[in-house]
Amino acid sequence: MRKLEEVLQDWEAVIGLEIHAELTTLDTKMFCGCKLEFGAEPNTHTCPVCLGMPGALPVPNRAAIESIVLAGLATNCDIEKHSMFYRKTYMYPDMSKNYQTTQGPVAFCMRGHLDLDVDGAAAKERIDLEGLEVGESRGNVTRTADGYTAHVGITRIHMEEDAGKMVHIGGGEGRIAGATHSLVDYNRAGTPLTELVTEPDLRTPEEARLFMQKLRQVYLALGISDCSMEEGSMRCDGNVSLRRRGAKEFGVKTELKNMNSFKNLHDGLAYEICRQAEVLEEGGQIFQETRHWDPSKKRTIVMRVKETADDYRLFPDPDLAPYVLTDEWIDSVRAKLPELPDQKAARFEDVFGLSAYDARHLVEHRETADFFEVCMELAGGDAAKLAKPVANLVINDVTAYLNAADGVALADTSLTPARALELVRLQAEDAISSKQAKEVFAAVLDEDKDPAAIVEERGMKQVSDTGAIEAVIDAVLAANPDKVAQYQGGKTGLIGFFVGQCMKEMRGQGNPKLINELLVKKLG
Amino acid sequence: MTQYLTEHDVRGIAEYARIGLSSDEVAQMTTDLNAIIDSLAPITEYNLEGVQPTFHPIGGLSNVMREDVEEPSFTQEIALENAPKRQDGCFLVPSILGEGGDR
Amino acid sequence: MAAATERVFACMGVRDIQIGLAAREFSAREVAEASLARVHALDGATHAYLETTEQLAFKAAARVDAAVAADDLTACGPLAGVPVAFKDNMNLEGAHTTCSSAMLANYVSPFTATCVARTLEAGGIPLGKLNMDEFAFGSSTETSAFGPTRNPWDLARVPGGSSGGSAAAVAAGLATVTLGSDTGGSIRQPGSFCGTVALKPTYGVVSRYGVVAFGSSLDQVGPFTRSVEDAAYALNAIAGRDALDCTSQAVDTDFTANLADGVRGMRIGVVPAFMEAKGLTPEVKAKVEEAAEHLRALGADIVEVELPNAQAAMSAYYVLGPCEAFSNLARFDSVRYGYCDPGHKDLGSQYEASRAKGFGPEACRRIMLGSYLLSAGVYDRYYYPAQQVRTLITQDYASAYEQVDCILAPVAPRTSFAFGEVSDPTDMYLSDMFTISINIAGNGGMSMPVGLGAETQLPVGVQLISPQFKDENMLRVAAALETVYGPAPVAPAFAPGQPYPEGSMVDIPDAADAVPGVDLPGLLTAEGSFGVAHQASSAAQRGLSERLGNAEAAPSQVEKAGE
Repeated sequence: MRKLEEVLQDWEAVIGLEIHAELTTLDTKMFCGCKLEFGAEPNTHTCPVCLGMPGALPVPNRAAIESIVLAGLATNCDIEKHSMFYRKTYMYPDMSKNYQTTQGPVAFCMRGHLDLDVDGAAAKERIDLEGLEVGESRGNVTRTADGYTAHVGITRIHMEEDAGKMVHIGGGEGRIAGATHSLVDYNRAGTPLTELVTEPDLRTPEEARLFMQKLRQVYLALGISDCSMEEGSMRCDGNVSLRRRGAKEFGVKTELKNMNSFKNLHDGLAYEICRQAEVLEEGGQIFQETRHWDPSKKRTIVMRVKETADDYRLFPDPDLAPYVLTDEWIDSVRAKLPELPDQKAARFEDVFGLSAYDARHLVEHRETADFFEVCMELAGGDAAKLAKPVANLVINDVTAYLNAADGVALADTSLTPARALELVRLQAEDAISSKQAKEVFAAVLDEDKDPAAIVEERGMKQVSDTGAIEAVIDAVLAANPDKVAQYQGGKTGLIGFFVGQCMKEMRGQGNPKLINELLVKKLG
Repeated sequence: MTQYLTEHDVRGIAEYARIGLSSDEVAQMTTDLNAIIDSLAPITEYNLEGVQPTFHPIGGLSNVMREDVEEPSFTQEIALENAPKRQDGCFLVPSILGEGGDR
Repeated sequence: MAAATERVFACMGVRDIQIGLAAREFSAREVAEASLARVHALDGATHAYLETTEQLAFKAAARVDAAVAADDLTACGPLAGVPVAFKDNMNLEGAHTTCSSAMLANYVSPFTATCVARTLEAGGIPLGKLNMDEFAFGSSTETSAFGPTRNPWDLARVPGGSSGGSAAAVAAGLATVTLGSDTGGSIRQPGSFCGTVALKPTYGVVSRYGVVAFGSSLDQVGPFTRSVEDAAYALNAIAGRDALDCTSQAVDTDFTANLADGVRGMRIGVVPAFMEAKGLTPEVKAKVEEAAEHLRALGADIVEVELPNAQAAMSAYYVLGPCEAFSNLARFDSVRYGYCDPGHKDLGSQYEASRAKGFGPEACRRIMLGSYLLSAGVYDRYYYPAQQVRTLITQDYASAYEQVDCILAPVAPRTSFAFGEVSDPTDMYLSDMFTISINIAGNGGMSMPVGLGAETQLPVGVQLISPQFKDENMLRVAAALETVYGPAPVAPAFAPGQPYPEGSMVDIPDAADAVPGVDLPGLLTAEGSFGVAHQASSAAQRGLSERLGNAEAAPSQVEKAGE
C-alpha cells in the first residue's frame, strides 16, 4: 500500500464524522431517575424504564435537553423550536425496548459549524492549497500565516439514549465473533447520548482528528460530558470515500468504527484512505460496508455489508410530548454558555498580546489555559511582559511533561502557577540561563521545591557581572591565541567555541548573552 | 381482492419482526394480512392535502420533562428476577453472530 | 358476624360497603375473606380471574380496619374497603402480569402501575388479576392463552373484550370495582356485553404508567362498576397527573359532584350515520332510541350531529394500533423476561422461536401488520395519512361539541355472541365500529347498561361520549339514565342466594389447546404453584409496601384461584 501523502496527491478523501457523546456530568439517565455511574456492579443502576419492562414509560431529563441546546449554541447550530422524539426499531439485546428513543428528521440542533485552525505538521496532509495566499479562500478553507482554517459544517446534533453493554464469552479476546454467548448489563442503557453528524467537509485524517479534538474542548468547556474516549463516553465513527482530484462525484463510502482515541481516529482513517486507493487503483470496487479499525493489526476489517438501506421503522414516540421551545427559554440557556475555547484564545491574544498560535495551543486543554490565567493574575503589572515566556513554558515544557507522564493532571504535580511564574521571572531577570531553567523545571517537579530554593541550593546563580565575565574572557583569549587569530581572519563561527570555553570556566553560571556580547566587542 | 403481499413478502416481514413462522402459518398470515390491508383502503383514498397529522391526541401537549434527580434503582437481584437466563449479574443471551451478522 | 355472612360484599356498592364499615357492622378483613371465598367458589364458571392476591388483600384490609378503629375511614380514600380487581395488563408488584399471554406466563411484576397504586391508596382491597384478550388484541377474550372468560349472563357466550375478565367479574358480583383498559373499545364493548357501567376516560385522565402498552396514543384505563356513582368514585381515585406518564394530565374534577343534576337543559347529540350503520342490530338500535326518548323526557335537547369522517376511524385505527403494538411488543424478546424457547445456540433462532410460541396468532398478526405498515415507502401510504385522518376526526368531534354537551350512540352493533361464532379477524374488528373514533380523537366514552335486548334478552349498553376532559358530562347523563333503568344488576345466575351457576362447564372450542408447544405454568389448575415467590423488597422502586402501611411483612406468595 502506498503512503498517505502519496495517495492524497492523486485522490481527494471525503470524510464525515458521527460523534457520540454521553452527557456524563448529569446525575441521572435520559428517561428515568437511575444514577449515571461508570463501573458499577452490573444491572444495579436499572429500573422498569431502562430495563424496558412491560408498562414502563419514559420521562425526559430536562437537564439533558438543556445540555444539548448548549452544545448546539456552542457549535453555531440553529436551535429548532419544534421537534419530537421518535422510536428507531432494531432488535438487539443491548437495547432493552428493542427500539432506541431518538430524534427524527428534525433534531434539537441543526446546521452548525466549527472552524478548525490547522497548522504545523497537521497542515501538510492538505496538499491542494498551493498558490493560495494568506487570507485567500478556496472551498471551505482559508490560508493562514502558519497553515489554514477549515470551515466544517455540522448537519445536526440530536438527543438519544445509549445502549447497555455486552461482554462476549467464548470467542477470542472478548470479541463477538466466535463467542458462544454474551452477557448484558443495562447500567449504561438509557444514558443521555448526543449524536453530532458533520457534513462531508473533512479532507484529511488530521482534520478529522482536529475536529474531534476541538469538539471535545467545546464539550469540556460546556461541562456537559467528561468526553472520555477510553471509557467510551465520547465515540467517533467515520464515513470515508475517495474521488480523483478534480472530480465532482462522490465515491462509494465505507463506515469506520472503533476509533476510540485521537490516534486511532487518525490512523484508522489514514489506513482506510490508502486501502480504498489501492482497491480503486487495481480496478476494484468499494462496497458500502461497515469496517472495524483494529489498532493492534493496523488495518480495517469488514463487519457488515449493507446491501440495502436500513429500515428502522422510525415513527414519532407517542409516549413523549413534542417540544415547543421558546426564544425566551433558548436565551435562558444561552445565558449559561461559558467562555468557549475560541473566545478564550481571542481574549489571550487581546489582553496578553499572545500570538494566535500560542493562544490557540494554550486553550487546547482547559487545565493549561486555566494554569496560564492564574500565572497572569499572579504576575500583576508584569503580566503583559511575562505572558509570552509563561505561554512558552506551558505550551512546550508543561505539555511535554504531561504527555510523557501519561494521565497525570497538572493540578496533581508540584508545579504550581506561583512556581512557574517564579521560574519565568528568574529567567527573565537573567538570574538563570535558559539551560538552567530547564534543570530547575525538572527539579521543581521531582523535588517539590520552589525554583528560587533550587537555584540557591545548587548555586546556580547566573553571573551577569561585567567585570567578572571580562576577566574570564581575557583569560580564555590569552590561552587560545591561534583561535583568536583565525577568528579575526574571518572564521567568525569560532564565537561559539569561545562562549563555550568561558561558560566552562564559570561552571555554567555565566550569562551566555552577556558573554557573547563582550566577546564580540573584545575580538572585534 | 388486491394482493398486497406475497408469501415471500410475509416471510421477510416475519424475519424483520423476529417471529418464526412455518410454511402453513406463512400462507395463512398472507391471506389474513391481505384481507386486513384491503380493509385499510379508505385511508389511502382520502383527500388529505394540507391536513396536519396529529401524532399526540392531547392538543397542545408539549415539553413534559422531569428534573435531573436520582430515584432508587432495582437491586441486581430484582433486575434479574424475571430473566430466563442469567450469569454473573448479567442477562445471558446465546451467540449473537450465530444468526449471520452484526447489526 | 351473622350480619357479615349474610352480605355479599362483592355485590354491594361502594357507599353501602363504607356505611357498613363505618358502623362496624363488618370489617374490611371480612370483606376481603368473603369476597375471595366467593371468587374461589364461583369463578370456575366465568373464569374472570387468572390469579387471586390474598396477601395483598389482607394487608389492604388491615389498613382499612385500622382507619375504622381510629374513626377515620375517609382518610383511607374513596374506595376504602371496596373489593377491586385489575385487568392482567396492569402491573401489581409481587403478582403476575401475564397479559393473558404465554409470553408472560411466568412474569412477576417488580413494580406497580400508577392506576393500581392509586386504587390501593384509595383503600381498595385487591382480589386479583383478570383475564383478557392476549395483550388486549381482541373483542371476545377468546384469545387469552389461559382460556376464555364466559359471559355471566350466558355462559355459552363471550363477555366481549379485550377487558372481558374485568366486565365479567363485575357482572358476576365477583368484585365491586374492576379496572380495564380501552384502546378501541376494550372497556365499553365488554361493558355492553356484560351489562355493567364501563368508562373509558379522556386520553390523559388516567396514567398509563405500568399498564402494558398496546397502542400508546390510544390506550386509556377506566373502571367497571354496577352503578354510575361507583364509577365516579373509582375515577376520582385513579384520575390525575402522574410524573411517570408524560401524557397524563392534572384533573381536579370531583366526578360525583354533578351526578344528581339531571339532564334538563343539556344538549345531547345523536349521529344519524351511526344509527343507520350497516350491521347495527334492530334491538340495539331500539335501545339507543329508547334511551334518547328517556333523556328527552328528562328535559334534555336531543340534537342530530354529524361526524363526517368517523367512517374512516376504523381504517385509521387498524393502521395506528398495529403500528404502535408492533413497536411496543418488540421488547418481548426472551432476554430480560418472558418466554424463552429452550435449547437455542444462537440468538436469532431463540428470538424467532420464543416470539412465535410466546405470542398467539392475533398478536402475531398485529405485530406483522404494524411492521409492514411502518416500513419504508409504506409509512407514507398508511401511517402518515392515518394521523392526518385523526386530525379530521378530532375536528369533527370539536365541531359537534359546539352544538352538544354529550353524544349518545350505540356501543357495539349487537349483543354478546357465542364462542367461535365470529372467527374471521376482520369481522371481529367490526365489534369496535362505534367505539374506535373516540380513541382516535381521545375523547371520553362510556357504556351505560339500559336493560336487555328485545330479541336476544342479553344486556345492551348505550354509549355516552364526552368532549375531551369533560368526562363529568357523560357521567351526568349516565346518572340520569340510571334513574330510569336502575343500577346494573348482578347477572341472575350469580345473584346472591343462587345456587352454583348451571351450565358452567360448557365446552368452549379450542380453549384447551390455545397455546400449542408452550408448557404453561399451573395458572389454570394449581394453587400457589408459581415458581417465583417474589419478595417485595424495600429497595424495589415505586414499591407498594410503604404506601400500604406496615400491617404485615411484604407479600410473600402469590396465590391462585382454584377451579
